[in-house]
Amino acid sequence: MTLEHNILDVQDFCVDYGYGESAVRAVSDVSFTLGASRVLGVAGESGSGKSTLVYGLTRLLRAPGVISDGEVTFTIGAEGDQRAFDLLAATEQDLRAIRWSHISIVLQSALSALNPMRRIGREFDEVLRTHDKNSSKESRHERAIELLAMVGLDADRLDRFPHELSGGQRQRIMIAMALALRPELVIMDEPTTALDVVTQREIVSELYELRRQLGFAMIFITHDLSLLVELADEIMVMYAGHIVERAAATDLYHAPRHPYTLGLMNSFPPLHGERKELSGIPGTPPDLKSLPAGCSFSPRCAYAMDICHSSKPPLVPVDETGRLAACWLHDPSHSHSVPVELARKHVRGVEAQ
Amino acid sequence: MSDVPKGQILLEAKALTRHFSVRGEGGFFAKKRLVRAVDDINIALRAGYVVAVVGESGSGKSVLSRMLSRIIAPTSGELFLNGELVDLKSQRSLAYTREVQLVLQDPFAAINPVRGIMHAIERPLRIHGTPKDQVLARAHEVLESVSLTPPQQYLDRYPHELSGGQLQRINIARGLAVNPKILLADEPISMLDVSVRLGVLNLLRELCDKRNLAMMYITHDIASARYIADETVVMYAGQIVERATDTSIIDAPVHPYTQLLVRSVPDPENLESRHASTAPDAASLGFNYEGCRFSPRCPEAMDICRGNQPPVTEVAPGHSSRCWLSATDAQRSAVSISVKS
Repeated sequence: MTLEHNILDVQDFCVDYGYGESAVRAVSDVSFTLGASRVLGVAGESGSGKSTLVYGLTRLLRAPGVISDGEVTFTIGAEGDQRAFDLLAATEQDLRAIRWSHISIVLQSALSALNPMRRIGREFDEVLRTHDKNSSKESRHERAIELLAMVGLDADRLDRFPHELSGGQRQRIMIAMALALRPELVIMDEPTTALDVVTQREIVSELYELRRQLGFAMIFITHDLSLLVELADEIMVMYAGHIVERAAATDLYHAPRHPYTLGLMNSFPPLHGERKELSGIPGTPPDLKSLPAGCSFSPRCAYAMDICHSSKPPLVPVDETGRLAACWLHDPSHSHSVPVELARKHVRGVEAQ
Repeated sequence: MSDVPKGQILLEAKALTRHFSVRGEGGFFAKKRLVRAVDDINIALRAGYVVAVVGESGSGKSVLSRMLSRIIAPTSGELFLNGELVDLKSQRSLAYTREVQLVLQDPFAAINPVRGIMHAIERPLRIHGTPKDQVLARAHEVLESVSLTPPQQYLDRYPHELSGGQLQRINIARGLAVNPKILLADEPISMLDVSVRLGVLNLLRELCDKRNLAMMYITHDIASARYIADETVVMYAGQIVERATDTSIIDAPVHPYTQLLVRSVPDPENLESRHASTAPDAASLGFNYEGCRFSPRCPEAMDICRGNQPPVTEVAPGHSSRCWLSATDAQRSAVSISVKS
């Protein structure tokens, strides 16, 4: 594996739905970098812009979605022989060369992603043939079997139609297809949300293993924060199109800094400990068409102050580790104390021992 | 609200069973195959108590709720409402639906999108004979009970104008409109945004306590069952494999399937669990109707499991498991005798 370089560099990325006056900003000033063979988790509710973000980055966005601002640089290749692509300036032809070979995507519903009229084998064959026209039919068949074995499926699945397979098997096939051309970056958009918890566990441990073997970078989108803590190196939490917090996975879980992150974590009843009443987050998710002034989360926030209702908090480092949060509570220029539950200490690397 | 004492059994199912016959593998002329969607289920819903039914898709939990609400007729078994045997051959009566109401998973699908909210709330009231001049007052009352205030503001709206969480509250309010004693909630929070799920869950618990409702909460999320339920029942392939009247079913599961289920839940407190070994996919193995249904996937399956239905054994007061591992010596020897003879 190469030395850590940034495979993806995103600056001030914005996506609007619609034009002009009626435009709704679904992704707002998102900036992040993703190191090669790292896992970035994106958490958020529906409407938070997490899917729109990755559709925008990969230029899969459909009208009326428009990328209104930003820069996206995708870099591949080993140290000294790196190629950088400006994904937003790339032509259809450039994108065709990058997609699947270098960036692949797994969507939530495997049933609608697979053609119901085709056997699985034909789907594999098409992908492999399109990207290597000189390959022989036999070599493609062999590669398809190899890919299925990678995700724990027998070769006889190649002769099946999608409806003959279970949801978990179909999602495994989507993962195998996404890895077919050994991409450097795999994007997973809620790949396990439609699955049962046992199947989800199987797929997640398989992903974990595959990533260890193949070393691809991954962006994993889900609303399930606990799942992300298991998988991701770093987590971004999105709310109303903005990143509200970004930190190393275990830091985020053990010591959240943004009230929304804390609320999200308290929205999942725990599996252990005393049974006590939890409150979740009051109110309803925001309507992007009429966002409140100031911090978008302020109407639902238990800690909201006057400034929160009038002025938008910037995403800034909140401690010496460089983790980011967009919340006025952590701004030292305001005279108030940070609530204790948002100021927990977490010692890095405890679980690595 | 109702005058029944807390804890009284309101709806009880005895040996409730539903089999479906489906076409087997091999095309149109293939032999019919029997799917035992729900098999021999005993369950009692008590006033003021929540029973959680936990299972994966295909475990039969929804078929069970449809049978309890009498939308699907059982193949066999008995149903008792307020201690009286229900005639399962007869048409479902208005009197039955007044007592037993079902709340479905997806509020966007359950509520007519082209009619206003008032229509959704008014329909059950009118059908069950609430006088016209009392309908509005009653509608306000139920919306207030699900914390949608001011009620008139919601009644004048259309479903698309509300969020998922609000619409699910409407859906629950509709279920409560005719003042039922029993509420069956089939995955009521799984379609909702994470941040509003807990609010709806707390509402259900509160309604159960305040109105002395008997509630069945169907879910695939075992952590939410632990949060809300007084009794938890785990289903696998149509059977109850483990049940307990406290949280011991999650804190110390006995049945290997429940153990697998609990182990599979993402748990950031215990990151080692992500490497845990997993059982093979259910669909690729099918079910074993001869012996224990979980035996093809079970890491601890023994010879006895494959050929013999496991007995139900009480492992602790109020906690029972359907597994040969927890069977008593008497239960084991009963099988060896029948094998010999």
